[in-house]
Amino acid sequence: MIIKNPSSVEEVLQILSNHITKNKIIAGGTDIIPGFHINSPRFTGFDVLVDINGIKEISQIIELDSYFSIGSSVTFSHLQASSLVREKLPVLYEAASGIGNKQIRNRATIAGNFINNAPCADSVPALLVYDAQVVVKSIENESIVSLQDFLEFPYKTILKNDEIITEIRIPKKNAHLIGSFYKLGRRRAVAISRISLAVLGSVENGIFTDFRLASGAITPIGMRFKEIESFILGKGIDRDLLKEVAVKTGSKILEITGLRWSTPHKLPVLQKTLYQLLVNNFLENDEK
Amino acid sequence: MKSDIELNINGTAKKIFVEQSKRLLDVLREDFLLTGTKEGCSIGECGACTVVLDGEAVNSCLILIGQCGGSEIITIEGLEKDGKLHELQKQFIDKGAIQCGFCTPGMAMSAYALLLKNNNPGIEEIKEAIEGNLCRCTGYKPIIDAVHSAVKELNDS
Repeated sequence: MIIKNPSSVEEVLQILSNHITKNKIIAGGTDIIPGFHINSPRFTGFDVLVDINGIKEISQIIELDSYFSIGSSVTFSHLQASSLVREKLPVLYEAASGIGNKQIRNRATIAGNFINNAPCADSVPALLVYDAQVVVKSIENESIVSLQDFLEFPYKTILKNDEIITEIRIPKKNAHLIGSFYKLGRRRAVAISRISLAVLGSVENGIFTDFRLASGAITPIGMRFKEIESFILGKGIDRDLLKEVAVKTGSKILEITGLRWSTPHKLPVLQKTLYQLLVNNFLENDEK
Repeated sequence: MKSDIELNINGTAKKIFVEQSKRLLDVLREDFLLTGTKEGCSIGECGACTVVLDGEAVNSCLILIGQCGGSEIITIEGLEKDGKLHELQKQFIDKGAIQCGFCTPGMAMSAYALLLKNNNPGIEEIKEAIEGNLCRCTGYKPIIDAVHSAVKELNDS
């Protein structure tokens, strides 16, 4: 196996366009390298590893006219340290801060988190509620797809072998919304999420004017709950409505996953947690 | 494939001809005989292999040497200067923050990386810095105390 260290996206695309060798992009390596170590079938047989760590054009967080651009090789420590992310994208900030541990966050990258499409990827529910888009480049093409469409099936995305994600775009109109991210693992640090949820929305004069809800670890892939989102829109906010949303979400998830050995534990935890998240974010202080 | 890799280890420029896909951890231990860096879980969960790479704490079991060209690496062996222990090392000894000792180099390097960025961290920041370092003797309290005392000593002197 050869490791190449290109210094531009152009150079990466040149390497990836060679279909004779089996190529794999590596950034933080926190998923791939343990994969090598345990001889995981997902990570065997590569001829060329393309290390994208040194490429400046994909390692920046930039504010543009209509969207925030997060380079695909931005690390979680970088996201955590960015005042832009902390102030304008608080749900992403929360998700980024809880990933792995300090050492992992110093290496692991945002695109690397969802590129394998593991349901437990913590950045996914946060990015989904912000309507994140993914910019994909190949030597001939550039396309922009929604993250939801990018995440095709569990452990599979639409990314082809000769393509790279260069950036993640988040529309700026989402920056004023309030919300939060919740993760349940077996311990606080270095824990794989068993349940992850993100909520985002806004309430004006006691009425929901915007609402988004996304799950991670409890569904086969990270997803938004569009039916529940439209159900809540325009409705007056009170505890009964929030309870109804929590119950409906639980039923919807059960419908998707079917009964599992973990259902008796996860379903009530999910419903109560979601209810509490909604109360904390959207009920006025005096109504809590 | 083998290739020449140039890097700086504990302040000294080094060049090595090595298999690019060898882990940084193995290169440090086998090629440079810096065996203070330990191998625990090999999957980035225990932190025993923590070193400082370009100013950041990283798990050396999760980095391939082919990714390290031009980097500056500090290992536990690099903390001592002219035969004098670093304040962190002194405080680990003073506070008895060592039981079996296996997690100690990783703990010290995570704490050292914290001090590079923040010369006056509080207890919560110390805890966050070592959240990725497991101590199976579960002696976390003296470890946190040792780092906290080192911070005080370094700021007073």
